[in-house]
Amino acid sequence: MGNLIKSEFRKTTSTGLWWGLMIPTVLLAFGWALGTGAIFKTITDFMSSSEAEELTTLLGVDASQWQMSVFGMARSINVATIFPMIFGGLAIANEINRKTITTTFLTAPNRVSALTAKMIVYILWGAIFGVVIVASVSIGIAITSDSGSLPDVGGWLALAGVGVLSSILMTMFGVGVGALMTSVVGTTVVLLLYMLIVENGIQLVLASQGLPEIIGFLPNGAVNGLTGSVASSLFVANAGVVPEDLVEGLRAIGGALGAFDWWLSGLIFLVWTALFFLGGWAATQRKDIT
Amino acid sequence: MHDGTGRIVVQNLTKQFGPVAAVQNLSFTVEPGSVTGFLGPNGAGKTTTLRMLLGLVTPTAGTGLINGRPFSHLGNPARVVGAVLEAQGFHPKRTARNHLLVYAAAIGVPDSRADQVLQLVGLGAAGDRKAGGFSLGMKQRLALATALLGDPQVLVLDEPANGLDPEGIAWLRTFLQSYARGGRTVLISSHLLAEVEQTVDQVVIISRGQTMYHGPLDHLRDQQQARVLVQPSDTGALVAALREDGVGAIEQLPDGRIAISGVTAKQVADIALKAGVSIYGIQEEKADLERLFFQLTNGQYAAPGQYAQPVAYQQPGYQQPYQQQPGYQQPYQQQPGYQTPPQPFQQQPYQQPPAGYQQQYQQPPQDQPGYQPPPPGSQPPPQDNPYGPQQGQGGLGGGA
Repeated sequence: MGNLIKSEFRKTTSTGLWWGLMIPTVLLAFGWALGTGAIFKTITDFMSSSEAEELTTLLGVDASQWQMSVFGMARSINVATIFPMIFGGLAIANEINRKTITTTFLTAPNRVSALTAKMIVYILWGAIFGVVIVASVSIGIAITSDSGSLPDVGGWLALAGVGVLSSILMTMFGVGVGALMTSVVGTTVVLLLYMLIVENGIQLVLASQGLPEIIGFLPNGAVNGLTGSVASSLFVANAGVVPEDLVEGLRAIGGALGAFDWWLSGLIFLVWTALFFLGGWAATQRKDIT
Repeated sequence: MHDGTGRIVVQNLTKQFGPVAAVQNLSFTVEPGSVTGFLGPNGAGKTTTLRMLLGLVTPTAGTGLINGRPFSHLGNPARVVGAVLEAQGFHPKRTARNHLLVYAAAIGVPDSRADQVLQLVGLGAAGDRKAGGFSLGMKQRLALATALLGDPQVLVLDEPANGLDPEGIAWLRTFLQSYARGGRTVLISSHLLAEVEQTVDQVVIISRGQTMYHGPLDHLRDQQQARVLVQPSDTGALVAALREDGVGAIEQLPDGRIAISGVTAKQVADIALKAGVSIYGIQEEKADLERLFFQLTNGQYAAPGQYAQPVAYQQPGYQQPYQQQPGYQQPYQQQPGYQTPPQPFQQQPYQQPPAGYQQQYQQPPQDQPGYQPPPPGSQPPPQDNPYGPQQGQGGLGGGA
């Protein structure tokens, strides 16, 4: 198995795909972090200003304690994990498309071991992307945010942890969809369309129909909930007094509207990932390579 | 994990792709120490068979065994069998060396092996070039290099000569023969017998997913039975005389001549002389190997005429050749299945050759082609479709 893992890893490093996707990942993560950091800084500044004093006094909150930046981090991580998902999506689709899958299966004891090696390597790549995303987001958010609004070490570690986890899960999700679709273009288009447009539309409809609970069960809603829930609980834990009515709004800002606790969201997305991954695995396992 | 014999055994392999039976109950054995050709026309099921043997395609029924084991039970399969398949792919952006390093890692051979096989196939200078920029011939060489990474005991190649220049083909031939001489097994598929004729010792010929011939190429060569084509003055009399002499393998050709198998031209001439039949033309015809291959694999897809061959001897399906020939009232009346001739025998100008017929034959009637005696030593006139309308899918492979 060690040999096959080495082989799969060489496969990923001997073409330009990994850095071709890493560059936009870094740019997007960094850019979103800069932008969201700036937006939340403006909000915090406003809430701390004399004009908003009446409002904050009325609500009994102290905006200077608000770690608004965690929402920026959560949002930025969510957006940037699109790229590891695409990277995963191309794992098997590309091999089938280039027909290198033939040699892969000819040089492996069996398909189970070939696919297991691939899975391990893509979990590793998901983690690498996750670390890069968390680092880019952290640098970006630190540049545009007040130091007061940044999370403490424990909070940062929690966000970093779920960030890497969601990157790994997104990669696996992509691998599964790619194995099922077996088409490079199809996989890319379907993944992007669904994650960026289709599910956002569904979420909008569900939210407007008063059914936000269902959002947490959808793939994108679940994976957003993973980071968003951690961000909003971090915020609530450190913000002092937060009115009940505000919490739901804060979760929406964090991208976790309708989502469950981070671990439950993670579990739900894991189920989605497993569904597609095992489906793709089964399809590849039985596929006639002609 | 396996018996180490290097033997390939295909047993009753069947593959059904939806309604299409790609391979039907195919069985053959490939022994080590020789190069075996796996031949058949395009679409005969060669690639599917090889892919089933290599575990890439799941058979509908039957098994393909290498070293007594199915591919998935070989342990580290690339150490046992190396394969060059037609549609084997390379990532266009990956260099040849990196391609080999990927699979060297999978097989568990040292990285230095990648450069060794690159040298072996003559790609030593192209190792750092991307496979996407390779010519077809270079890709074939890279595919062979990949197959050789694990120094396998069995080599399976699907149409390896595709894209190779004559020099490359000559090199491949030498390489495969020396590989086999080392006691290893080489199975090489092709749709052209001529392409591999000089390379292979054994052949498996398939058509429509079934085995047509399996054995040494030399035996196939020996089967090339000569026949004599003769143009007598009185066909009926000559046939009767031949039958009297115990010669049974007689066949009417559409051009009016008869073809006799298992005799020499001299014997036929002597018999004709005894029977008082004039001979206007006589020649011996020997089928070449390619034609034999044609015959074994005939008419798979072709409309009658394209693949139908002028040679029809040795074909079990050919019991009643005369039945299809109009105008043979007298000598063939005993033939089973005889039908009323649509055309009286008398119309055949051969029966009573008038004096001065030589001149007459120089202007043969238009509806009777082939009267002109062929010049000595010439090939029979081209017969694009001698049996087409009647034969359909005749021949050994026909409808089998």
